[in-house]
Amino acid sequence: MFKNSVFNFYSIKLLLIICILTLGTWAFSQEFKNDSVHTRNLKTVTVNGQRLQTARAALPIQLFTEKEITKLNASNVSDIAKHFAGVTVKDYGGIGGLKTVSIRGLGAQQTGVNYDGVMMSDIQCGQIDLGRISIENVSEISLNNGQTNDIFQSARTFSSSSVICITSQMPKFNEKHSLSGKISTKIGSFGLVNANINLTKNFNNKLGVNLSTDALLANGKYKFLQNLNSSNSNGITEELTRTNSDVKSSKSELNVNYDFRAKEHISLKMNHFISNRGLPGGVILYNPYSVQRLLDKTFFAQIHYENKISPKFQHQYFAKFNRSFNNFEDSLSLTSNNYLQKEYYLSSSFQTQPFNPLYISLSADWWYNDLEIDFSHKFENFAFPTRNSGLINIATKYLTERLTIGANLLYTLTRENVKVGVAAPNRNKLSPAASISYKLLTDKELRIRAFYKNIFRLPTFNELYYQEMGNHNLRPEKTNQYNVGLIYNETEIPLFSDFEFNVDGYYNQVVDKIIATPRDLFHWSMVNKGKVDIIGLDVNLKASIKLSKTDYLHINGNYSYQSATDVTLESATYGEQIQYTPFHSGSSTISYSHNWFEGGYNMLFSGKRWSGQNTKSNRLEAYVEHSIFTSATVKQFKLTGEIINILNTQYEVVQFYPMPRRNFRVTVSLKF
Amino acid sequence: MKTKKIISSILLSAIALPFFSSCNPDEVIEEIPEISTGVVVLNEGQMGNNNSSLTYYDFTTGFSSNEVFNNKNNRNLGDVGQDMIKYGSKIYLAVSNSSIIEIIDAKTFVSKKTISMKNASNVPSTPRSLTSANGKVYITLFDGHVAQLDTTSLIIEKTIAVGSNPEGSVIVNNKLYVANSGGLSLVNDSTISVIDLASFTETEKIKVVINPTIIKADSYGDIYVISVGNYYNIPYTLQRINTITKVVTKITDVKAYKMTIDGDNAYIYNYDYDASYKVINKTYTIYDVKNEKLLKSNFIASDAVQNTPYSIDVNPITKDIYIGETLDYKTTGKMYCFSSNGTLKYTFPTGVNPSKTVFISNK
Repeated sequence: MFKNSVFNFYSIKLLLIICILTLGTWAFSQEFKNDSVHTRNLKTVTVNGQRLQTARAALPIQLFTEKEITKLNASNVSDIAKHFAGVTVKDYGGIGGLKTVSIRGLGAQQTGVNYDGVMMSDIQCGQIDLGRISIENVSEISLNNGQTNDIFQSARTFSSSSVICITSQMPKFNEKHSLSGKISTKIGSFGLVNANINLTKNFNNKLGVNLSTDALLANGKYKFLQNLNSSNSNGITEELTRTNSDVKSSKSELNVNYDFRAKEHISLKMNHFISNRGLPGGVILYNPYSVQRLLDKTFFAQIHYENKISPKFQHQYFAKFNRSFNNFEDSLSLTSNNYLQKEYYLSSSFQTQPFNPLYISLSADWWYNDLEIDFSHKFENFAFPTRNSGLINIATKYLTERLTIGANLLYTLTRENVKVGVAAPNRNKLSPAASISYKLLTDKELRIRAFYKNIFRLPTFNELYYQEMGNHNLRPEKTNQYNVGLIYNETEIPLFSDFEFNVDGYYNQVVDKIIATPRDLFHWSMVNKGKVDIIGLDVNLKASIKLSKTDYLHINGNYSYQSATDVTLESATYGEQIQYTPFHSGSSTISYSHNWFEGGYNMLFSGKRWSGQNTKSNRLEAYVEHSIFTSATVKQFKLTGEIINILNTQYEVVQFYPMPRRNFRVTVSLKF
Repeated sequence: MKTKKIISSILLSAIALPFFSSCNPDEVIEEIPEISTGVVVLNEGQMGNNNSSLTYYDFTTGFSSNEVFNNKNNRNLGDVGQDMIKYGSKIYLAVSNSSIIEIIDAKTFVSKKTISMKNASNVPSTPRSLTSANGKVYITLFDGHVAQLDTTSLIIEKTIAVGSNPEGSVIVNNKLYVANSGGLSLVNDSTISVIDLASFTETEKIKVVINPTIIKADSYGDIYVISVGNYYNIPYTLQRINTITKVVTKITDVKAYKMTIDGDNAYIYNYDYDASYKVINKTYTIYDVKNEKLLKSNFIASDAVQNTPYSIDVNPITKDIYIGETLDYKTTGKMYCFSSNGTLKYTFPTGVNPSKTVFISNK
């Protein structure tokens, strides 16, 4: 239908400029026009490279590459996280709904998110909304239990219980130095229109620039079935419509990379996110009225310099500035509150190899956070807190073909100040972690592994200083993790081009868990009261089967068991499963690919769980969600069709936040 | 052949793996006996959880269930059950966050009508409390109004504007006294609206301590008001208003969190918090409203109710005192029944946050 000649350089460029202008996103096009361009020769993650990375991992790592991500019926990072074992995604439903991730029963605030080397942070609430991270520009996403296996990292990367690492696509080397990229448009249920442009240009062998912008518009409306009787699954059921769930958002990111020479480069990332959305809230029976709105504006810029020229001594540095503003509005309660938080961050890491199988790394981080609020209602004496955090980490790794031993010690220091009231005490803490993996047989990729990690999270500014509920005496919330696992990899068995199986059993503890203790329905106080014991099992299977030279079958499955028991003394729920944690959950993906065609099936499963006390009315029933996709690539075009929740199942992840039933997405993209 | 088998078994296990644990819900539907003589407890529930419920406790058999409303109507009562009164043959329920008035038959507990409370521009008006007289039920609405419901036609006949965020109300000499809490305003309200029920007009406003919520009347023309204060430097305050002279007197020797009045006695409880927000110093006081003086300062032992008191009601016939308790405002609670001399008679389990008790006799 289309001739190649149509897509010559100039028409594409013209098309892009028109798109950028019409989308009305603050274009970084100025930069892109003025800069000379080239690209760093990015080592592509090959299947074998990836396999090696996960095979030797003493700390469990689960990873999806860009190619695998396209097979997951995912529209954002949280959808991908649902396919990791041991993960509980708290999905409030809908396009604009909050999506947070709790790993192995430890709570969402214990999960760290690392974006291209730098930890993301939210000093106010302590959890990252994974629903707002676009996957259009992602090259790899991994879940690292405990911490990453790579010890050449910022100290902060070692400071959470688990880390989700998101690696974005860096400008790819292009001989002709021409403009390359991808334009895609997505339409779907809930009035979704989503346009994405990704441009890359490299002018010479040193400088590369990548710009990606994403604009999304949706009314977010969907019909759902609501059982009005929590004590009986055959209660009166009404079909209602989710309203006030519209979303308007735009994300932009500029990456500039400069290679001084091989293994020495500097990169700059600037990211802007703005969204305006309705907050439909939980379903309130007999009262569908909802007017709450949330406006978010986040900007961050980070610089990374890395020098890996000498195997004996490597060093890297990060600097980041982050500014997050949000406005919450509720016209019913005459509320309009502004929150502004800022972060300044510096990091340096060094790695040496004193003798062959031994590596030692040292990293030091410092960062500063503040929070300002502006309330429409009286807020007596807000503290206007600031926190200086300093981290020093020393890590070592002994790495041979059969044996990997790792250990690290993290020192944390905080200095907190307030304008009004009493500041939280300063903290000085040491946190150790250790890991080991051993290849059992010389000729088989079969390894056993184990790790231990002791870490904590600091209370957030909300927990410390929020009016009335805040408690500046809060101690850090501590976790202990013990893990033993088995991992098996194979590339040589007949028919399979790749086969990976791993199973890990773990025991986790949360001590001094920060929980809200209500004084009455409207006044809650934060206290270090909770204690949770978690025993769990994660099973992962990944396989590729070569049916012919051009036909592949990919299988991916996982199963998680989590027994997460509240062992808080004097708790009404002592001995019960903690909220929103299923005993059994899992997912599977089966996909088939032929040269130009790909199709597949995804399934997500969650067993019964409770929204709180394990009573009948708090119980959420088990559910299975089935989804399918198919895509065809013709020349530079790719057409993808997806049907999510094909069996039209009505379920809830969070009680009274109904998930959408059957819905679809169609994506057209053009690569050039 | 063999490789095909391997492939198919892997395929099957990948699909079946997460399924093997699925199980059928072990749902048990409770059998509810006929409602005869006992108490009905309104459980407020936890906001946002739609788990307001009714507990029925039978005096004769000792049977109790938290599912009476669900069982008789096959649906939940709604979100935040704020108030309940029995008037005539019906029970009226103000379900605040669901913004409904639920009217049920006091004998069968089957719903007679559910009225969605909205203002002229279709915004929920949020009912907070109920009072009855002369065949009418008066409903305070958090959006600053009072509505009049006819108990025969079950239709809202009139609505009148009062102060901001009205909470409790009480009727003395055919006048309705409404506590305007102003809970959501920049400056809390601090007035009692006086409404003449014959003309259904507001005749005046009486100034009291900031944030009045609970309002009760004695039989001597006085009303007693608890003002919550500003949660900061103005504490809970108990006051008496002489409805004839309109003089407001602060009762400084009684600390009051919640109260109810029966006959000549006001039954009051109070508690404090320690530094770690643990409830301490629970006191149960009887105040003599006839002689206007403190009668007994600890008629129930401080530790008699194990956790946090949440409601206090008195059986007008037996004079037994019912105190509902909560542990953490999100799990199921308990009801304690004390005899008039303060000794514990029995307890029974309730739903989440037992907030009001009424006494029914269907003999």
